[in-house]
Amino acid sequence: MGTPEWLSDNRGTAALAAMLAATSSHSLEALAAESRAMTLRRFGRTMTLYAPLYLSNHCSSGCAYCGFASDRKTPRHRLEPDEIRRELAAMKKLGISDILLLTGERTAAADFDYLQRSVAIAAEEMQRVSVEAFPMSVSEYRSLADCGCTGITIYQETYNQERYEALHRWGPKKDFIDRLETPARALEGGIKTVGLGILLGLSDPVEDALNLYRHVRHLGRTWWRAGISVSFPRMRPQTGGYEPPFPVDNQLLARIIVAFRIALPDTELVLSTRESATFRDGMAGLGITRMSVESKTTVGGYSESKEGEACEEKEKGQFEISDDRTAKEFCAALRRQNIEPIFKNWEPTYNGPSSIINPENEISTILHNNY
Amino acid sequence: MDVLQLGSYTFSSRLILGTGKFSNSRVMLDAVRASGAQLVTVALRRFNREQLEDDLFGPLSAIEGITLMPNTSGASTAAEAVRAAHIACELSGSPFIKVEIHPNPQHLMPDPIETFEASRILAKEGFLVMPYIAADPVLAKRLEEVGCASVMPLGSAIGSGQGLATSEMLNIIIRESGIPVIVDAGLRSPSEAALAMEMGCEAVLVNSAIAVAGNPSEMAEAFAEAVAAGRKAFRAGLMQKSGSAVATSPLTSFLGTL
Repeated sequence: MGTPEWLSDNRGTAALAAMLAATSSHSLEALAAESRAMTLRRFGRTMTLYAPLYLSNHCSSGCAYCGFASDRKTPRHRLEPDEIRRELAAMKKLGISDILLLTGERTAAADFDYLQRSVAIAAEEMQRVSVEAFPMSVSEYRSLADCGCTGITIYQETYNQERYEALHRWGPKKDFIDRLETPARALEGGIKTVGLGILLGLSDPVEDALNLYRHVRHLGRTWWRAGISVSFPRMRPQTGGYEPPFPVDNQLLARIIVAFRIALPDTELVLSTRESATFRDGMAGLGITRMSVESKTTVGGYSESKEGEACEEKEKGQFEISDDRTAKEFCAALRRQNIEPIFKNWEPTYNGPSSIINPENEISTILHNNY
Repeated sequence: MDVLQLGSYTFSSRLILGTGKFSNSRVMLDAVRASGAQLVTVALRRFNREQLEDDLFGPLSAIEGITLMPNTSGASTAAEAVRAAHIACELSGSPFIKVEIHPNPQHLMPDPIETFEASRILAKEGFLVMPYIAADPVLAKRLEEVGCASVMPLGSAIGSGQGLATSEMLNIIIRESGIPVIVDAGLRSPSEAALAMEMGCEAVLVNSAIAVAGNPSEMAEAFAEAVAAGRKAFRAGLMQKSGSAVATSPLTSFLGTL
C-alpha cells in the first residue's frame, strides 16, 4: 500500500505554510492576536480539562524516543481492576470526570480484552472516557465504543515516512501506513472523536505540521461527523536519553499553535503538562481549548501520590511532567486569567456509536403502498 | 401587555441568555441578572452533580424569576437528544427543551433531519420544544406542524459574530410562521439584536457576544435595551423603506376616467 493521496492535497496549506515559514512575514504577535480573538469567539472564556490514566507500561515496540520502549529497563506493571478503581477514585477527588486511558503497544499482558475491561470500569465512574493505546480493528473499536469509549488519541508522531521507520525500530508501530489509517478505522467503528498529533522534535516540524493539517482536513471531509482534536506534544527528557534531532523552541511551538487556530478555527487544540506552567498559562487564551491537569505518567500514580511523598524509588514515567501544579493550583491560575476550567463537558447519554435516522425504510413503505 | 408567549408560559423579557462561555459562574449570574432575562438555556452536559463548583445548573436555578431551558448540545442524533431531554427534564423539572443536534462538533451546524425527528417525538410527549435550526423556511413550517413552541433559526454560525447573515431567509420564516421565531446564534452587537426584533423576531438568544465582552454585565444590559427598543419599533410600525419615489401626479388616475 502506497502513501495516501491526501498527503499531497494542497487545499489550504499555502496559508498555513506562510504562517509557519521561518521567514514568515506574519509577526508572531499579530498571529497571536488573531488566534486569541478567534478562540474567544468560538470557545468563549473556557478550558476543558482532562487527565491521563496510565493503565500499563508493558510495550512491544521499540520507539527510539519513548521511556516505555520494550528495551528500557523500566519495571513493567499493569493496573488490575481494583487498582483502576482506586486510581479513578483518587482522580475523582481532584474533580476529574474526563479521562484518557493509556497503554503501550499491544502485548499479552495488556491486550484488547484487558483494555476493553478497563474502559468499562472507567465508564462506570467517569463522564467521558478516551483511549490512547494501540491501533485496533474496526470491530475492536466498535466494542470499545459500546463500552463507553468516546474518543481515541493516536498520534502519527511524524509524517515523514523515512524518519518514522527509522525511529520505530521494531514492533507493530513500525508500519507507517497502518498507523496513518488508524484514526479512520476508529471513526468507522463508531468512535466519536479522534485526537491527532505530531511529536515535535523527531522530524522537520513545519513539514510535519503541514501534513498534520492535511490529515485533519482529510478526516474532516471523509468523516464529517467526527470530532477532531490536535495536540502538539514536544519531546521531553525521558528514560533512554534520546536527544531530539529537530528541537522546537518556545517561539516556534507558539507559532504552530496559533497558526493552527487560524487555519482550523473550530478545532479543539490540546496542550498537556509536558509543557511548563508559564507556557501553558500563556497559551491558554491564545488558541488552546483543552488541557490535561495534575497528570501522572506512571502506572498507578494518582493513588500512590496520596499516600505520602516518602517513597521516592518510584518507577519512571513515560516522560517527565513539566507543569506539576495540582488541579486546584492550575484552575486558580486559569481563573486569574478570566478563563473558566470545565471539568464536565459531556453527558454519558451521548456515548456509544450514534445511529442516525434511516428514512429509506419508511419512504420505501410509502412508495410501495402507493403503487 | 406585550409578552412573549411560549406554550402556556409568558415572558416580558425577549432576551434569552446562553450560559456556556463565561469566564466563571459569578460573571455569568451577574450577566443573567443584568440582562433581565427570564428564560435561560443551559446544556445538560454542563450539569455537574458531583462537583458543585463545575455545575451551571445549581447556581442558575437559585435565581428567582428565571425559567431554565435545558439544551441537548453534544447530541448528534435524534435518539441522543430525546434521551438527553428526558434526563434534563428529570433533573431540572423544566418543560422547555432546546433541541440542539449538531453532528459535526466543529462547525456546530444543526442536523435538520435528526432535529425534526427529535422535535416531533418530544412535542408529542408534551415538551415545549425549541429547536435550533438553520434558517430554512420549509423546515420551520414542518416543525410548527409537529407542535414546536417556537423555532430558533441561526442568524449566522455559532460563535461567528457574523450577525444576521441569514436575514433573507429569516424574513421568509418570520412572514410565514405561526409560532414565535427566535434568532439564535451569530449575534455580535446589540444593534443586530435590535434589527432582528425590528424584523419581527419574537425574541433573540445571545451567548458569546455577552460572555466574551469586556464587561459582560454591561453588555447584557445593552442587549436588553436593544431588544426592547427593537420590539417597540416593530410594534410601532417602521416607516416603509420606499423603493421608488412617489410620483407627484398619480400614475393610476386614468382608472377613474374609464
